[in-house]
Amino acid sequence: MTQSKLISQILFFGFYLLLQIFFVRQLVLFNYAFCFVYIATIVLLDFDTSPTALVLIAFFSGLFIDVFYNTLGMHAASNVFIAFLRPTILTLLTPRRGYDERMTLSLSSMGFQWIVIYLGTMAFIHHFVLFMMEASDLGLFLQVLVKTICTTILTTFVVILLQFFRK
Amino acid sequence: MNQLFEFISRQRAFIVFVLLEVLSLWLFYSYNNYQNAILLNTTNTYVAKSLEVSNSIKEYSNLKNVNEELAVENNRLHELVARLQSEQIVKTNFNYKADSAVAARFKTVVAKVVTATTSQFNNYITIDKGSAEGLAPGMGVISATGVVGKIKSCSEHYSTVISILHSEYTVSAKIKRNNEIGSVKWNGKSAEIIQLQEVPRTKSVLKKDTIVTSDYNYVFPPNIVIGYVQRVGVRQDQFYDIQLALATNFHTLSYVYVINNTLEKEQRKLEGNDEATKKNDPK
Repeated sequence: MTQSKLISQILFFGFYLLLQIFFVRQLVLFNYAFCFVYIATIVLLDFDTSPTALVLIAFFSGLFIDVFYNTLGMHAASNVFIAFLRPTILTLLTPRRGYDERMTLSLSSMGFQWIVIYLGTMAFIHHFVLFMMEASDLGLFLQVLVKTICTTILTTFVVILLQFFRK
Repeated sequence: MNQLFEFISRQRAFIVFVLLEVLSLWLFYSYNNYQNAILLNTTNTYVAKSLEVSNSIKEYSNLKNVNEELAVENNRLHELVARLQSEQIVKTNFNYKADSAVAARFKTVVAKVVTATTSQFNNYITIDKGSAEGLAPGMGVISATGVVGKIKSCSEHYSTVISILHSEYTVSAKIKRNNEIGSVKWNGKSAEIIQLQEVPRTKSVLKKDTIVTSDYNYVFPPNIVIGYVQRVGVRQDQFYDIQLALATNFHTLSYVYVINNTLEKEQRKLEGNDEATKKNDPK
């Protein structure tokens, strides 16, 4: 990995994690819709990231968020889960013409429809695991589902919004 | 042997995934059992400091609420002082006089809220006082308006509080009007409403009744307001299903009082294993 790429990767992580902790943490709509914008650190990593690296990165970024949320292990577990599923989901969502070598995981490269479906799927799985763990009670299933759907919508919206500011 | 290594290297993503998933689940399930063992939470000084910065904006816009709450509390305390002064004369007729150490067993420390959540299923609050101020895990936390929670862990200058809005936290309570005992536990749904359980249907509960902490409580002084009865429902078994409007507004919580029961150790030691029997027969 070249040095400039390394720096840009570190900035990418720093940006999403700090954004999550300092700003988006306070953003809760109607007590149901949270915003977990930090999943972008896993979801939007380059295509050629190895599956092992993905899982490791997911664990540490999840743990970092957990420390601030007082939910030790919860974000780490759901983050690791989507990181492991990511290659499978990418295969399932292969565009008709297949992936191109020049493609990057961004709005400008993949098109609006594809990125919404991809982000939505990943966010939904992540949030469902997260809220289910948090509730630890099947009696709250309906509430978990409502929370998951609202949160998926908000997270996807914010991540796509941030895509417009990428050069 | 070679085959084993080959298998491991082929499946390493899966193996790392399983290991990390198990590790995070272990962290998750053991977290509630540790008090000071791990500082992987907002008690950590660096974490708390950075949250303090991000909270300073919110704090500013909250000043009006804080002022109002303090004015109301002042008013209540003035009334209390006036009433106690007038009762003093009557009291001397009894032979009972509380030991001064018992009467003054509750010490309070004022702390500022660094961050508080209200919309998770298990909510925590971080405050800016820690073991340096004499705080320790297990101490009760109240606000100007009512009960807030109990300290979970302390670092030198910060503490994490288990909010009463936590799915595994129960507070022993009573109805102020007729001293009926029950327990208060949150069901995880709304940050304004909490549930009162274990009140038998044979007892009388009315709307607008005030629910306060009971006398059988190590953590809180008696008669701290928890909430007001909002709805009384019936359940299949012999208990009521009671909804309380919480006295404390967790959305705007800014300053709290930590209660240090200086005689707690002595009381626990004396009562020893009687705890279980006491719960069944609160006498």
